Amino acid sequence: MRIVACTEGSFGKIEPFSLEMITAARMAGAAGDEVVAFFAGQDPEPAVTSLGAADRLVAASAGNTQLIAAESYARLLADTVAAEEPGLVLVPYSANGLDVAGDLAARTGWPLVSYVNEISRDGDWLAVVAQVYGGKILAECSVPLPAILMVNPGAFAEAERRAVDPSKLQHSDATPVVAEGKVRLVGVEVPNYDGVDLTTAERIVCVGRGIGDEASIDIARGLADILGAEIAGSRPVVDSGWLPKVRQVGKSGQKVKPKLYLALGVSGAPEHLEGMSKSDLIIAVNTDPKAPIFNVAHFGATCDLFDLVANLSERLQTGR
Amino acid sequence: MKILVVLRMIPDSAGELELTGDGRGIDREWLDFQLNDFDDHALEEAILLKEAAGATVVAVAIGEGSNRVLQMAVARGADEAIALEAEADGMIDSRAIAGSIVALARSKAADLVLCGVQSTEDLFGQLVPYAGARLGWPHVSGSSRLSIEASALRVTQERGGGIAATYEIALPAVIGVQTASKAPRYVSGSKLREASKTAMGKAASEPAGFERSAEIVALRLPGQRGTGENLGDNPENVADRLASILAAKGFAGV
Repeated sequence: MRIVACTEGSFGKIEPFSLEMITAARMAGAAGDEVVAFFAGQDPEPAVTSLGAADRLVAASAGNTQLIAAESYARLLADTVAAEEPGLVLVPYSANGLDVAGDLAARTGWPLVSYVNEISRDGDWLAVVAQVYGGKILAECSVPLPAILMVNPGAFAEAERRAVDPSKLQHSDATPVVAEGKVRLVGVEVPNYDGVDLTTAERIVCVGRGIGDEASIDIARGLADILGAEIAGSRPVVDSGWLPKVRQVGKSGQKVKPKLYLALGVSGAPEHLEGMSKSDLIIAVNTDPKAPIFNVAHFGATCDLFDLVANLSERLQTGR
Repeated sequence: MKILVVLRMIPDSAGELELTGDGRGIDREWLDFQLNDFDDHALEEAILLKEAAGATVVAVAIGEGSNRVLQMAVARGADEAIALEAEADGMIDSRAIAGSIVALARSKAADLVLCGVQSTEDLFGQLVPYAGARLGWPHVSGSSRLSIEASALRVTQERGGGIAATYEIALPAVIGVQTASKAPRYVSGSKLREASKTAMGKAASEPAGFERSAEIVALRLPGQRGTGENLGDNPENVADRLASILAAKGFAGV
């Protein structure tokens, strides 16, 4: 069987999850299977210098766009799938992957499972484990091949980073596909950190939906000040406008790795864990004992977060 | 311009989720159902577009409590409300409902379909790419801003690392909203009562149109909590322990 592993990269860098897709493809494959990495983007160079762990690389580059739209990526992938006739396509769960996986499933009619953490092969079927309900439930699924899986970043180890042998590279020009697209890129914004860079912060106090309202953020901010920590928020808090976007941790915010991460009222959806699970010391406070944040926390407490913050602030200030 | 906005009622993931006897579903009897958070943002974005550029907003709801949420949608500014027939006691599978949404987009002559980028029940794929590909319309997932400029749609899409890409798309299109341009508005009781006078339409479900799909063999709760230590639920004891843990690791004091 042939397995297509979708990869992404922009601004001269390959996304680390691209290397994870190659590992996932090896796990799903059997002896003799071929793993073909697929890349589409402005500049193929980072893919060519990193994705040698795959058996081949099919790369489409479009110099006429900084960030390839999912529409063009999906069309180029569909052409590659038609030519390669794979038994399995692995798509990373990313902003791009969300549009690409379902699009390919609708075009091919193939089964699709999202949010996949584990893959094993059973003849012409796959057994996969995926996350539902914000990671609170795992779904064991049986998937007839050919199929498409959207795989969670962080679920598989990165394959070794090495250059692709030139004889294993098939490169094509994607500028006509991008030029014909109906989704036209008109601008790219890079965040204005304005002195805030969570990715370099050593201590972070992160508030989640459990903080309740905007006024209560100040209570958490008080504790952050005592600890010399940056205040951060999960997506619902930032979406509510209670904290600015540059302070968001998670898939669509920043990926952080501080020495101390104190999570207050954060449930720990997979998208949040993706952004912080590698922190050195994780302390989580959430009244729901089944909150997935406890799966990554080194210390967890299920008390009311306001009572805890009041008590802890007092002890830290008085040194008792 | 006509906007179709899809509102899915899903179990409250913050609540206790228990499995059914056969282990293939979750026990829905005592669950609270709420509007998918991303769909709430999609509704808000639809109303904001209506206010900014003029549009007719058709709200389509599916699942337990649809009528309540449709009433809320009308109170917030939707012009038409339709309850889509759902399979009882099942997940709202976006792969399965895409056919119905496509049929409604066509029958209502929609120019723009908006829904939340994801739901916690879209295990078998997301509604936006399914509906977009089936309609043959461009689709973009993960928007944080939408506007109409010279009859084209401008969409800002959240990429990882805080990077945002802005695209221009000629309508028709399907957009998966992550965050509305403004936080969803509050509606007063009097507006809700007023909205309760609006007649709610109904739509029958259409076939999904897929020959083969993956199947759930079993659901289970994630095993072990991590290897972390549980400090309990007494705030004073927890504060004592955390103060000494933080001190021991050099975090107490700035």
